[in-house]
Amino acid sequence: MGDIRQSLLPRDVLSAAKELLYHLDIYICNMVQSGRQPPQVDSKTLDLIEEFILHTPKDRNAPVRRMSALQELQLLEIMCSCFQEQSRDTVRQLMFSALFNLQGNQADESRMALLSKLVSMAVAVGRVPILECAATWLQRTHRVYCVRLAQVLVDDYCSMVPGSGPTLHNIHSASPRFCCQFITAVTTLYDLTSDELTPPMELLQMIVSWIQDDPRLVLITFLNSPLSGSQPISSLDVTPLGGLIRWCIKAPLAYRRDKKQTNNGSSDGEPDAARLFSALHLSVLQVFMLLPNILNEKGLFGRLALLQMESVAALASDLSRLLDQADKHTHAATSDTHAASQLALDRLAQALQVAMASGALLCSREDLRAICSRLPHNNLLQLVLSGPVMYYNNIHTPPLTYSPHAAHSPIPTLPPHAPHTPLAAHPAPHAQYPAQPFMTGMPFPFRPGH
Amino acid sequence: MLPVLTAKEVPTSGCGPPYGCICSEFHETNTQKAPDKPPARGPETYGRVRCAGLVLKDSAMSVVFDGSPLKAMQSPHSHTAPAALSAQELSQEIKSFISGVDAVQGRKLSVREHARCAVRLLRSVPACRGAVLEHLRGVYDEHVSTFLHNLETEGNASSGATSNLEDIIQEVHGVLSEFIRLNPRAWAPLVSTWAVDLLGQLSSKHAGRRVAPHSSSLNELLQLWMSCAATRSLMEAYSQCLAAMLAWCPDACVDALLDTSVKHSPHFDWVVAHIGSAFPGTIISRVLACGLKDFCSHGAKDQGPLVEKGSRVPKIGSVVGILGHLAVHHSDSIRKELLRMFQESLAPSTPLSPSSSSTSWEASPQLRRAAVPFLLQLAAMSPNLFGAVSSELVELLRPAVLLQLQALLQGLPREELDNMLGLAVHLISQSPTGGARVLRFLADTATPASVIISGPTPSPHEGVREGCDRLLQMLLLHLHKLVFNRSEGSDVGPFGSASSQPQRVIPFLEELRSHVAPLCAETLRLERKRHLWLHQLLCLLSVYGGPSVATETLCQLLTQARNPEELALAWQLHATLSSCMVGLVPAAVAHCVAQIHTHTLGRRQLRQLLLNLAAALQSQEEEKKAAAGAAGAAGAAGAGAQSSMAAQIGSAVSVHLHDFGPLLLHGDPAVSHAAVRLLSCSPLPRTASPAHLLLLSRAAVTHFFLTLRRRGEAGKTGRDAGQSGEAVSCSVLLLTRFAAYSALTLKAIIQQLVEGALHKGNAELFGGQIADMSGAPVASPSVSPDLGASLLDINCRFGTTVNFSGSVWSVFHAGVIGKGLKARTAANLPDPSGVIQNIQTLLAVIVQCCSSSSLNGSQSPSDPEEPPPINAEAAKVIAVTLVENVCPDVANGELSWPPEEHARTTVERDIHIRRCFEAHPVLFPLLQVVAAGRPALCYCSAVLRGLLATLLSHWEGSREALSTDSPWHLQASCLLVSCMGEGQLLPPVLANVHEAFAHLTPFEVRLLLLAVWEYVRGNGPLPQKFVFSSDKGMFCRDFSRDGDVSRYVAPIHSVLHKNIDTLGHLCWRFQL
Repeated sequence: MGDIRQSLLPRDVLSAAKELLYHLDIYICNMVQSGRQPPQVDSKTLDLIEEFILHTPKDRNAPVRRMSALQELQLLEIMCSCFQEQSRDTVRQLMFSALFNLQGNQADESRMALLSKLVSMAVAVGRVPILECAATWLQRTHRVYCVRLAQVLVDDYCSMVPGSGPTLHNIHSASPRFCCQFITAVTTLYDLTSDELTPPMELLQMIVSWIQDDPRLVLITFLNSPLSGSQPISSLDVTPLGGLIRWCIKAPLAYRRDKKQTNNGSSDGEPDAARLFSALHLSVLQVFMLLPNILNEKGLFGRLALLQMESVAALASDLSRLLDQADKHTHAATSDTHAASQLALDRLAQALQVAMASGALLCSREDLRAICSRLPHNNLLQLVLSGPVMYYNNIHTPPLTYSPHAAHSPIPTLPPHAPHTPLAAHPAPHAQYPAQPFMTGMPFPFRPGH
Repeated sequence: MLPVLTAKEVPTSGCGPPYGCICSEFHETNTQKAPDKPPARGPETYGRVRCAGLVLKDSAMSVVFDGSPLKAMQSPHSHTAPAALSAQELSQEIKSFISGVDAVQGRKLSVREHARCAVRLLRSVPACRGAVLEHLRGVYDEHVSTFLHNLETEGNASSGATSNLEDIIQEVHGVLSEFIRLNPRAWAPLVSTWAVDLLGQLSSKHAGRRVAPHSSSLNELLQLWMSCAATRSLMEAYSQCLAAMLAWCPDACVDALLDTSVKHSPHFDWVVAHIGSAFPGTIISRVLACGLKDFCSHGAKDQGPLVEKGSRVPKIGSVVGILGHLAVHHSDSIRKELLRMFQESLAPSTPLSPSSSSTSWEASPQLRRAAVPFLLQLAAMSPNLFGAVSSELVELLRPAVLLQLQALLQGLPREELDNMLGLAVHLISQSPTGGARVLRFLADTATPASVIISGPTPSPHEGVREGCDRLLQMLLLHLHKLVFNRSEGSDVGPFGSASSQPQRVIPFLEELRSHVAPLCAETLRLERKRHLWLHQLLCLLSVYGGPSVATETLCQLLTQARNPEELALAWQLHATLSSCMVGLVPAAVAHCVAQIHTHTLGRRQLRQLLLNLAAALQSQEEEKKAAAGAAGAAGAAGAGAQSSMAAQIGSAVSVHLHDFGPLLLHGDPAVSHAAVRLLSCSPLPRTASPAHLLLLSRAAVTHFFLTLRRRGEAGKTGRDAGQSGEAVSCSVLLLTRFAAYSALTLKAIIQQLVEGALHKGNAELFGGQIADMSGAPVASPSVSPDLGASLLDINCRFGTTVNFSGSVWSVFHAGVIGKGLKARTAANLPDPSGVIQNIQTLLAVIVQCCSSSSLNGSQSPSDPEEPPPINAEAAKVIAVTLVENVCPDVANGELSWPPEEHARTTVERDIHIRRCFEAHPVLFPLLQVVAAGRPALCYCSAVLRGLLATLLSHWEGSREALSTDSPWHLQASCLLVSCMGEGQLLPPVLANVHEAFAHLTPFEVRLLLLAVWEYVRGNGPLPQKFVFSSDKGMFCRDFSRDGDVSRYVAPIHSVLHKNIDTLGHLCWRFQL
């Protein structure tokens, strides 16, 4: 494979790239057919890719070869058809990863740029195989890069080209896996901390309609991925649940802030957003309700925390900070502010309760109380935190025992705010949070409003 | 503020057509950025140019053009239509776009179909954005080519060829502007970069076309490009982007503009011009801000005092270029902006200043600190900008600002400060205008505060003062280097030799050349350190400007100095310059003279100049005396330069004596006084042309009479009297020295003195009356004005005006019959003491002139007590002049006397002579002077004879008892006889008879006078009877050679006998 470099050098940029793609295809086919394990593309080939497709200068002396935008478009078009026509998934995957797996070198920037364009184009022209490959890529790559890809797509389809939203909407049907990963990436990206990090309305609508249409969408990656410990460090969460919960809880405060700053902005956007988030919240809770069965099927109930304790803690501290700010900004807390913060707290309480109940969150009430200690008073949260009056032991759960360690110093050792710290989904429950005391379907002894 | 603006930019339904929309945004951004600026300026300019572009096209096109975005505006959801394409169709589209072939039908796409396809992709496939824009470049280029081609063929080609692409361009423009409007944040940076780049590419690519005007003619270029739909649409797109981006990241788009401008330098200018004139305030401030950021990020590592333009970072270069370009129309805004930058960089940093947004440079302390070096750098690179700022900058530097500046600069490292100082010095030395103000400012600020002298500005802080002091000294040092290195290669030869190679120009000094006079004035104020600096500067300026400036400077100093200390500055300057310039003093004096001739000097200055020159000369004389007294005195070396300078001045002045001469008659007494002082102490030239000498002597004599008159007018007391007295003595000195110069001058002066004394204008000074032709005093000068004389009048009076003199007939006009005798005007006698003083002065002058003349060779005054004898030649001159003036008829007449009876033939002439003597009392003293210079009196013999004849007839006809009853005649007789005795026309015995006159009767007086007459008739008054006696040093007459005197003495003795009772005591006087 490395010997074709001499033949590529004299060619023009585009045909060299085409030629290399062609050879790469053959090379990988051969490799797969030979059944070498593990199928691994050697470094010389990777160098060739970097030199002739990504146009990273090999050494300082070599003249920088660049493709014009037109040539790049042609290359993308060729790639699209190339992936489309390749019938074997393995080859396709190998080829995709050979092209786009990050190598941690200077070529990564152009790699990301090319990948973003390829995926954006694949979305536009509906190239499912590429989307599938991209979904896999999103699972394996560091979340920072995933977020960048998502950002490009959102920019392209939700802000740059008006009216192209529906195209993006179609990925739901084209490739649910990609769609799920996209949601995860988007929820990671937009954490509602600033204006820039607030999702565009169009995107929000899209996501809400996706999940409303098919709540299982958000679990697809979880359902399809093998439960090995092969989840790479710092990759995206398995499900977008954490991010979605964050959206729903922070939205009342974040959007109120927006509205405050753009006094005379479109006044109909705000209730719209509120309605959307409300719907989203409902959908998320519904997804949670799906979880026990799935977990039970997989035999993971109580052993896999889809919702990380750390992220909940971070969310709680974020929330308390936001509430503080809201209080500060409006010295006399208006009824509006009050309603918004109560809504946020309500949603937190609901999410916590359902998550704990559905086995997505593995922690004790003591831990929760510590986490939520700084939050202002909320009836519902109070209820959730105080827990049911009596316990019903269940054969599935370990006995309700608190380790003395946890009882004495439950939470403060946790980092208070670490949204991007590695949050690997550990297959085994934390030693520190040994038990999940509640059962799904357990009747509440006291249910407000009923 | 930020979110407010962005909210304006999100699509709003109530907006008008797109241009209105843009304009309204301009309004808002402008008013929010800088409320003090007229907000309408940018949009107005923009609108005007755009309309100009539209007018050039046919109306149909403009409708299409304006209509297209309007449509896009009206249907915000129009974009949903193309989005309906399925994935399959999109894929086909992409294929078609790439291959240029219709994927379905398999035929080749036309340019416009291809472009349509691209637009569809732009709307639907975001990933194609780059490729589409790239493709559109080709389309635009194609259109421009066609457009220019059509222009070149004068529209021969079918007009359809142009229009088919134009609608595509409208479409693209519509799509882009819609995108920008909907999402400015995403699209504006993209489109602006693309548009600017494409514009640059297009304008440089087509710059060589035949129809394209040269890149220097901006307006034509602008017209051409704005009439082309493609470039106009690009320009509008860019403007839209800029308007959108100004609110949140103006730097980015200006960055792109700058980069492109650097790349396509001359051809891109029209874009910058257009944008710049559309958004002058913003563009200028942004360009500056960009430059500042760039400058700051490049740090001060390569910032030297003299940075070549090429080696500097390109951005600052293009900043300079753009600003220089905009300076043509917006120099005011640029100046304001630069000054604002300067001021704001100094303003105390407030954490949340309301006027500045978060993106502006004022927020960063680092940038603020870099602002001043940046501005300096900018100024160093563009003389235009520097010129714009320098003048007002000085105005800005009030003490408070200076303090701030000092505070700001204190934070900088030493090295950087030195660099800046060097840069500032360099700038000042290179500044073509305003140098004088800068200099004044520096000097004012650097001058130490003083209790005595309060400068125009209140004394600044000590640190500031030291800084300025340092700057000023550096400046002087720098100029010194420049000046002296400049002339190193070409040896500056003697005075006036211009070196062949052109010398480097130093603008600062070049400008100051015209400010020599104020500089000199300021130097002469002798304020503390200031005059040292200025003096140094004047030296440099003189060396730089060469002889012309040096002479000008010296001349100014000489003109303006008011006391010896100030004058010393001139000597110092000369001492410095004399080493490298020869002939400075003569040139300076010549320059002064030229100024005198052109009347550029005021009276005061003129006077001062003359006094200063005189002072210089006097100092020389004193120096000589001192040197004679103590040859080896200490400080002689120091005085050497001065004395040599004084000597040079002396010689220079002596060359120009005739130029100073007319000043003696200057209307201002002070000036003429100064002139006489100068002339009286100036050495006389070795050679001089007679014309000059005569002129000078005439001036000197006239001046003499003037001073006499002034002395009389000044009165006796007070400063005026003293001054006029001094003027008289100076004048006397001048006349004396001048008379001693040569025989010619002696003659001229004496002649003129005598003539002047008798002249009717001066006569009254000496107690004289104005006599008419017949010798009778006229009534009054005002009664018979010369100008009123008419020929008719004279003809009517023919009989009375015919002069019969010289014939045997005499006509006397004694009056009109019936009205009695003609009324004699009562002579209004002037102040007798003044008259006496004047006469004394006149005589003193004449005597001095006559006696000090060098005609007698070495006649050292052996006995200082005894006045030197009167020179015979000089006396002859007096005599001749007297005769000519008293009685022109007898000039050069017979010297010997006729018998007494013959006197009746000359009665009229004699009466005239007598009246002259009556009218001019000064004549007798003059006669005495003549008499003293024997044998000169001989030449007056005709006058003496005439006078004696009239006296004889008077005494004959007199019926008075005593001679004392007719006092004038008695006095005249006495004086006449004594004069003749003194002049040795009479022997002592006869000469003494006048002593007896007062005691006799008129008849007896007549007898005695008759004896005198007889003697003279017998012994003619001829000069050849005199011989020079060397022991006396004068001519003498030996009476023994003449005939016997005794027969003439007989009447005397008989008169003595008759009156022995009264004349006894006089008998011994008449012993033979």
